[in-house]
Amino acid sequence: MSEIERRALMKGAALSALAFTVGGKQILLSPRQARAENIPFRTLTPQHAETLEALGETLVPGAAGAGISNFVDQQLSIPPEEALLEARILNVRPPYANFYRAALSAIDRASLANNDNRAFAQISPQERRDFVDQMRQSKIAGWQGPPGPFVYLVMRSDAVDVVYGTMDGYSALGVPYMAHIEPTKRW
Amino acid sequence: MATLDKVDVLIIGAGASGSVFASVLAKAGKKVVLLEAGPDWQPSDLISSDFWGRRVKPAGIPFLLEGKNPYGYAYQAGWGVGGAALHYFANFPRYLPNDFKVKSEHNRGLDWPINYADLAPYYDKVAQEIGVSGDARAEEIWRPRGEPYPMPPMKTFRNGQVWMKGLESVGIRTVPAAVGMNSTTFKGRPACIYDGWCHVGCPIGALANPVITYLADARKAGADVRALSTVTRVLTNEAGTKVTGVEYFDARKEKQVQEASVVILAAWAAQNPRLMLNSSTDKHPKGLANASGLLGKYMMAHYASGTWALFDEDVEPHMGTVGAQYMSYDRYDKTSKKGAFGSTYIVAGTALKTSDLGGFANARLDLFGQPLADFMQRAKRGITRLTAFGEEMPNIENHIELADGKDEFGMPLAKIVHSFDQDAVALWNANFEEGLTIAKATGAKEFWSARGNQPTIHLFGGTIMGSGASDSVTDSYGQTHEIPNLWVAGPGLFPTEGASNPTYTIFAVSQRGAEQLVSKWGTVAG
Repeated sequence: MSEIERRALMKGAALSALAFTVGGKQILLSPRQARAENIPFRTLTPQHAETLEALGETLVPGAAGAGISNFVDQQLSIPPEEALLEARILNVRPPYANFYRAALSAIDRASLANNDNRAFAQISPQERRDFVDQMRQSKIAGWQGPPGPFVYLVMRSDAVDVVYGTMDGYSALGVPYMAHIEPTKRW
Repeated sequence: MATLDKVDVLIIGAGASGSVFASVLAKAGKKVVLLEAGPDWQPSDLISSDFWGRRVKPAGIPFLLEGKNPYGYAYQAGWGVGGAALHYFANFPRYLPNDFKVKSEHNRGLDWPINYADLAPYYDKVAQEIGVSGDARAEEIWRPRGEPYPMPPMKTFRNGQVWMKGLESVGIRTVPAAVGMNSTTFKGRPACIYDGWCHVGCPIGALANPVITYLADARKAGADVRALSTVTRVLTNEAGTKVTGVEYFDARKEKQVQEASVVILAAWAAQNPRLMLNSSTDKHPKGLANASGLLGKYMMAHYASGTWALFDEDVEPHMGTVGAQYMSYDRYDKTSKKGAFGSTYIVAGTALKTSDLGGFANARLDLFGQPLADFMQRAKRGITRLTAFGEEMPNIENHIELADGKDEFGMPLAKIVHSFDQDAVALWNANFEEGLTIAKATGAKEFWSARGNQPTIHLFGGTIMGSGASDSVTDSYGQTHEIPNLWVAGPGLFPTEGASNPTYTIFAVSQRGAEQLVSKWGTVAG
């Protein structure tokens, strides 16, 4: 591999922040910053982003503020070989967007059918918890999509990632991070 | 498509086994080229992060996963130089004498065509070559005497020490785990600082990954590593009596032919048979070196029975290495568990991160929301894990075959079909039961089994070694029975898998094979 190709492959890794596109320019932000600055989504629909944020917050408190939807959206918008999603190591076949679209659509379909025509983001926090508990046990009637327990595993992993997997997350939990090579921007 | 100048040795895959062959052959003066499908990672690329660590693993795989226990591929596979050993845990247990003659001794499974004694000198050689820390004398309660390791054991931490009382209560002895890590400086590489980031790649060189050991030596001796180069077919002469090179797609995705005197398939255990099956000709209609019909057969995986324990005291879960601090072969006898068959290898003490598959957020996968947040607060100081690895017997039904559909290079996909048999399930369950007994005796505040789907860990078989073309694909060195200048390397050669981590044995088998190739070069090279 030429040095130029290697540099291109490692572009994000060397900086360890995520590249978001704003106004045609790339800027490096953490997902939390991207959410705070209302960076537009590139791959997720607004509906899917809203569902993912509600689901993430249900799975791991703090995931919404940590930018779970911005993180996943950015990751779905880059080539799979550059992706940092746990889906990568859970044998999800690229393009990963196909899995997320199918999973988030399945969640909303099931929520609409079982909660008086309300999408997942519109039901109450307790209803969300009940829904997730049923989904993880594959107990949602009429579920159409990737297996519920697997959706739970992948999305829970994303939520854990953005809340507990960053340097900020370690710091908030009180666990020493002890990096050899630190990700910059505490990501 | 260009045909490139012929080289002496062409190695497919720059992981653990390919790097050993490259080092030995380049140092013997051979012109060596390695074709590696992934990037040419440097130690400085290995960022201490579970996110960024995923980039050294494959993204999307050319395998369909089928069977009752589909093979969990991507977490443990490698993508790029160093292969899976760029991010391995560097546990370095050996196989024991009882691993090599399972068929003869139990009328189960298969025999290796070699004994422990054939491999023992190579274990010692590898230890001196790349650095192993441990206590060889202590291990000799279970195995024949060998050379001492070049470094003393690694440090232990409370997250490992707290298991000792429980293990002793059931009569399980432990010794310091043998690991491919530096407890002291070794050959100019620094000692480990116990930060627990081994699994995303150690950038300081305290962990003996191939990039800083064998592959670095090979490069110094002139080996050429071509990254982002994907081999699709091994080429043979018209008579089908020898291989002439390979067809591959280079980093610009342009098709090339590289000719070579000897081709060594050192890709992953699943990829080698895929390549050989895809290289069929009229002289080899079932795939290369497949007269036995066993190419792609006898795929095997390890499985783990994990036990979690939560202590009131601070056991410093974040400290240590991702490998083990203590190990035991006291359940390694093939019949040590009633109603089951196969060896069990036990390890205690591992550094835990928060996230990723091995992180402690996954210790209670049933928890989410505030209960998970509460658990994380409890676990951050007091959690630790004991792991018992189990052995699966070779089963001809567990196999790899070409499948419908093609990858981006036009090569057929393959499917890995894998199911555990009743013995493996029984041993997995028995190890959970004993884990709970052990945990109870530690005095832990809470303890539970890490149950889920039976996991598949490591991958073996598909190109097994044996005594002849009727019962195997290669001989004990990795030379295929039918095509003298086509060799295979890696755990795909193993006829049985033992229960302990395989990479030390992969290095030893590869060292033995590479030295054999050098010694009989004149009769092998095409």
